[in-house]
Amino acid sequence: MVLSRLTSLLRNLLDKQRQERELDQEVRTHELLLADEKIRAGMSPGEAHRQARLELGGVEQVKEQVREMRAGRLLETLWQDLRYGVRMLRKNLAFTLLAVFALALGVGASSVMFSAVDSILLRPLPYRSADRLVVILNHGRGPIAPANYVDWKAQSKSFETMGAAEYWTPDLTGVDRPSRLWALRMTSDILPMLGVPAMLGRFFAKEEEQVGHQYEVVLAYGLWQRQFGGDPGVLGRQISLDGKSYAIVGVMPAGFKFAPFWATKAELWAPLALGPRAAQRSGNSLRIFARLAPGVGLADARAELATTTARLEQQYPGTNRDARVVPLKEKVVGRIRQALLTMQLAVAFVLLIACANVAHMLLARGAARAGEVAVRSALGAGRLRLLQQFLAESLILATAGGILGLLFAAAGIRALVVFGPADVPRVDNVSLDWRVTLFTLGVSILTGVIFGLAPARRASRIDPAESLKEGGRSGDSTARHRTRSLLVVTEFALALMLLVGAGLMLRTLLALQAIDPGFDPHNVLTMVVSTSGSLVSAPGHSDEFYHELLDQVRAVPSVVSAGLTNHLPIAGDIWGYPFWIEGQSIPAPGDEPDAAYRLVFPGYFNTMAMPILRGRPIEDSDTATAPRVVVINEYLARRYWPDQDPIGKRFTLDNPAKVAAKKLNWLTVVGVVKNAVRSDWTAPPEEEIFLPYSQNAGVGPYMTLVARTAIDPAASAEPIESAIWSVDRDVTISEVQTMSAVIARANSQPRFDAALLAAFAAIALVMSAVGIYGVMTYAVARRRHEIGVRMALGASRANVLADILREGMALSLAGSVSGILGGLILSRLMATLLYGVRAGDPLTFGGAAALLAIVALAACYVPARDATRVDPVVALRYE
Amino acid sequence: MPPDQTNLLQGTLDMMILKALALSEMHGLGISRRIEQITQGTFQVKPGSLFPALHRMEEQGWLASHWGESDNGRRAKYYKLTGAGRRQLEAETRRWGRIALAITRTLEAS
Repeated sequence: MVLSRLTSLLRNLLDKQRQERELDQEVRTHELLLADEKIRAGMSPGEAHRQARLELGGVEQVKEQVREMRAGRLLETLWQDLRYGVRMLRKNLAFTLLAVFALALGVGASSVMFSAVDSILLRPLPYRSADRLVVILNHGRGPIAPANYVDWKAQSKSFETMGAAEYWTPDLTGVDRPSRLWALRMTSDILPMLGVPAMLGRFFAKEEEQVGHQYEVVLAYGLWQRQFGGDPGVLGRQISLDGKSYAIVGVMPAGFKFAPFWATKAELWAPLALGPRAAQRSGNSLRIFARLAPGVGLADARAELATTTARLEQQYPGTNRDARVVPLKEKVVGRIRQALLTMQLAVAFVLLIACANVAHMLLARGAARAGEVAVRSALGAGRLRLLQQFLAESLILATAGGILGLLFAAAGIRALVVFGPADVPRVDNVSLDWRVTLFTLGVSILTGVIFGLAPARRASRIDPAESLKEGGRSGDSTARHRTRSLLVVTEFALALMLLVGAGLMLRTLLALQAIDPGFDPHNVLTMVVSTSGSLVSAPGHSDEFYHELLDQVRAVPSVVSAGLTNHLPIAGDIWGYPFWIEGQSIPAPGDEPDAAYRLVFPGYFNTMAMPILRGRPIEDSDTATAPRVVVINEYLARRYWPDQDPIGKRFTLDNPAKVAAKKLNWLTVVGVVKNAVRSDWTAPPEEEIFLPYSQNAGVGPYMTLVARTAIDPAASAEPIESAIWSVDRDVTISEVQTMSAVIARANSQPRFDAALLAAFAAIALVMSAVGIYGVMTYAVARRRHEIGVRMALGASRANVLADILREGMALSLAGSVSGILGGLILSRLMATLLYGVRAGDPLTFGGAAALLAIVALAACYVPARDATRVDPVVALRYE
Repeated sequence: MPPDQTNLLQGTLDMMILKALALSEMHGLGISRRIEQITQGTFQVKPGSLFPALHRMEEQGWLASHWGESDNGRRAKYYKLTGAGRRQLEAETRRWGRIALAITRTLEAS
């Protein structure tokens, strides 16, 4: 039986013409035979044929019923419908292009966001069983003291392996162009723990953690290519880092990166030899990486670490009491998650609006084709058959939209990688792969089916008798109009939510730009000058070297002023130092006040335009032999000497509990400087102290030069670099950037969020405008007769205009109200992205609603004006 | 009152068509009239049900067809039972017999 069905299927598909001919003949013969019968029974031939036709119920209908029965029917009709669909869509090219474009825009945008979410949030980090990797950090973000690491490693059972890493920026010298490299020193456990094998050579071993044996390095693929031309014979070669010779023992494969956060630019890994530092409970500098032991959950590890830490806290008060275990991936993507999810939601709204618009068009076309549907239905097409045909059309639209959307997505992803905010983790992994492609096509087909179904159902439900009786008039129903109105309200609600999102981000951006950094970033060039590969780094030489360097830089014609600091605000590191104020009681260990520690050369405050509020800045007279001085910031002054003049007060950075009173190094406050942003643009001010480098020489192997220039600072980079190298050819210069660029990068995330949301909102606004325009145009066409009657009865144009506008505005109002309600809920999701504006900001909500109302008014005006131009005579005759 | 066409169970229609064709081959109208005659007018099979059923049963291999000439000289499509069709009729007859018996017993139970 299966076989016979199969041969029938083949026959049906291949020999269709003969099949059709025979079917036609069979049914017609039947009618003739019926008539013959009736003639034999004594009926007149004419009457007999009429009766036979009635009894048969229509040749075409019977034939259609037989066809429905046939094997392969679905395939055949589907093909037919697709062909017919393409023909219909080509006939209405403008409609088709508009629908495809709207869909492609929505689908493309959501694919870009999906690929970002997929590669940044969903995919595991590129290490073996990456979900088992964790980091241990002070307060979940800061580094840890060496002795604590040593104790945890010895005492914890929750971790299979644990290792420590420390930031390192060595100078590579003995090559054509000395340069400063990003590197990590780390214990030998870390590389094997990641489960990525070396491409060449080996990792370093446990023995290299001993002081004196740490002179080995593993290179990243990029550095190997750049510095050594990808030479496979590089193993065993010696390179000079910070003036010491290191042997290259291994090269990692392309694409390998570590660490995935904080030291993301590292391309050199060397052993960490803690030596005597292993007993230190201060000098937090280590990030701890660990792999959870099999069967141990995150909660177990946290509990165990808390117990160990509590025990250590009793033994050694005030050291790393708030160490936290954080999953590595959480650490990497945690900050960006909220932004990405918000964008994903926004883009889903854009897609929904696009779909609503296409549904509009399909509904409108369904109405226009009511006559065609009625005829086909009268000729025996079943409801399912009609449904199938309408669906085929929307599927074609959806597929075309999907393919175009894929192109949009490809372009969008490239743009995201290029123009995306700085410092987004893993953004270079975002690409158009098969998952994104599948997502794009899946979304478009799904939208095609869902949003094609409603119009198709509506169209297929038309009563042929009613429709044909109306004689080709629109044949539309109130129900259809209601569906479209509902779509418009939905579109407006979604558009309003997007506008609110964009508005909130824009206000955030304005608030961020209004922040006073405490210095003037314009026309300031900065660069890091490192002396660790040069002889000047020897004790006693560096102070002299930097003074000479400043003299040379100041001699550059375009330079107005210049200064040096150890750590630049925002871009630079922050070193926190505890301090003890003279005459105040000694706080408990761990509860000492602490301050950001900055070393500066005279000229720094002047160059950065940081106003000195009281006293004086650091000056040339503050030499190594002069009395030790310090400049403090306003915040520190207010906090610790609230009602006194801080000038002349003294504090020390030496711990009075450990250093004999006579030996304490007292620093005298000589000046108070205005608060400036530290590392985080939006963070409130904290304590900061500025010490003269000359009195603290030798701390840190590099300094950051700041130079205020008379011309475009970027153009001064080269003469300044030459000036520096004229002092010593072996120093390295890196991170040459303007201060404005530093600030711009710090705020690139909110700026990007705002730009993206604004773009989405603009698309939404245009699409909703098109939607309400379509509905109102249609409403006017429907009411043409009524308007004609009213105008004939004396209604003024203004009356009619107001009436139509009122209908349109009612829709937009309903949309706005639901949008505001939705927006109030959804804007909470954005709370972490906002600054200086509340999630429920009434001004933003009001502004968005007003903008939407204006757009709606404009979109309704054209159809409303057309309505007033209806000539009553024409309108009435038209019926 | 003849029952509504749409309520005529498909299986029942199939069975009656098979039974009508059990003795000799026939064209569509012949089958229709034969069923009317057997059921003494209780069932009237309309073309809209008859032809889809005939084509379906042919696709299933129960019927075979060929073009022949009717009594009054018209070219008509004639249907006849195949071996499979005959077996299907027997199966249907047995099944129907069981159902009828069961229903009769149900109705006669006191």
